[in-house]
Amino acid sequence: MAGSPADGARRPGRDSPAGPDALQAALAAVARGDEAAFAAVYDRAAPAVLGTVRRILRDPAQSEEVMQEVLLEVWRTAARFDPAAGSAAAWITMLAHRRAVDRVRSEQRAAQRDARAAVADAEVGYDEVAEAVEASLERERVRRCLDGLTELQRESVTLAYYCGYSYREVAQLLGVAVGTVKTRMRDGLIRLRDCLGVD
Amino acid sequence: MGERRNGLHALVGAYVVDAVEDGERAEFERHLLTCEQCRDDVRGLRETTARLAAAAAITPRPELRRPTIQAAAVVRQLPPVVSGDRAPAMSRRVRWQAGRGFARTWLAGVAAGLVVVLVVVAVVLGLQAGSMQQRLAAQERRDDAMTAVLGAHDAVVMTAAVSTGGTATVVMSHQARGLVFTARGLARLPGVKAYELWLAGPAGVTSAGMVPPGRRDMSGPMIVGGLAGGEQLEMTVEPASGSRQPTSAPIVRIVLST
Repeated sequence: MAGSPADGARRPGRDSPAGPDALQAALAAVARGDEAAFAAVYDRAAPAVLGTVRRILRDPAQSEEVMQEVLLEVWRTAARFDPAAGSAAAWITMLAHRRAVDRVRSEQRAAQRDARAAVADAEVGYDEVAEAVEASLERERVRRCLDGLTELQRESVTLAYYCGYSYREVAQLLGVAVGTVKTRMRDGLIRLRDCLGVD
Repeated sequence: MGERRNGLHALVGAYVVDAVEDGERAEFERHLLTCEQCRDDVRGLRETTARLAAAAAITPRPELRRPTIQAAAVVRQLPPVVSGDRAPAMSRRVRWQAGRGFARTWLAGVAAGLVVVLVVVAVVLGLQAGSMQQRLAAQERRDDAMTAVLGAHDAVVMTAAVSTGGTATVVMSHQARGLVFTARGLARLPGVKAYELWLAGPAGVTSAGMVPPGRRDMSGPMIVGGLAGGEQLEMTVEPASGSRQPTSAPIVRIVLST
């Protein structure tokens, strides 16, 4: 743990802030109109934004477009971010998720999606998490924690988060009561939170 | 904890993964104002969803980086939300999770800005599509005008349904005496036809130009300058070469009120 100075120097994120702190600091600078800081926010946040959006929208070109919209939205509304209410990453990914879901829902109103295709999609959704080849630490940890959920909890959470379904749609897909899905989403997320050590 | 409203409490999971409908979202957010425990729950579960997002991360194509960052230069930033009249300007305790007007202020701002961002993205992607250097010079003037409108303090957004399908959006600034027009989902026209914009005012009807096709289902953006005030913006279907005066009935009309 307490390494020699040489060890410490090799480890990124010791002297210069990295990870969540760096994103938060960059976002605070963006709120003051700092365009260079926006590049830092882009570098740190864009991959999670694109990944989230892409899972929900599927279409690569449309996902890139939404990613750009979300990042510009972050630029525009950075002053409204409150660090006391959560991390910068949570705020940005919330914007991304909401935007993607809103887009899916508005398209849905025009053309209802075929439920059978939806089930197939949902399976891919979880599959991609569960068997992601690029096994980054985070991916591994999340996968392990997802595996620790009951099947119904896991499906409720991943269908909503990674596929953008409403709890009513999830209930329909899984053939369970609406109230059951609501509680499974909550319980599943709580178990995930505890497993991931989120405070 | 106080009084429990179990139905709403159960919704916390669905809420943080955006699996609720708009009405329920609003109801839950009202509930959050009075339920500290729920705000804590939301906070923790949101951090959890951020981890789900991180686990899904994919690296964007490098070509997207520059245009996105550059686009920020033409998007005006919202000021922080201040509680009361005299919160210090540097105060960073802007609330997005608690307090009066939770999410309402914040989401209203997001909604209004969405269109501006969409327009900017369209501009960026439009630039990106062609050979950048060649088109840059030609577009510079147009973009300056567009920047002036989109960045104006008094910019307002108006949308209207197009009778033949699609939605027209106008971002207008009186100060810049101009507007930026875009449309989404317009009916596809045969090659010999095109959409044309008109300004109809006391002095008559004048062409504001042909609507350029955009990427995907977007049309435009196009800039219309020299507004006198009190005009109407109209769109008609015309021969692709354009008309001096409209030859068909308007399919959308937007009153450019003051």
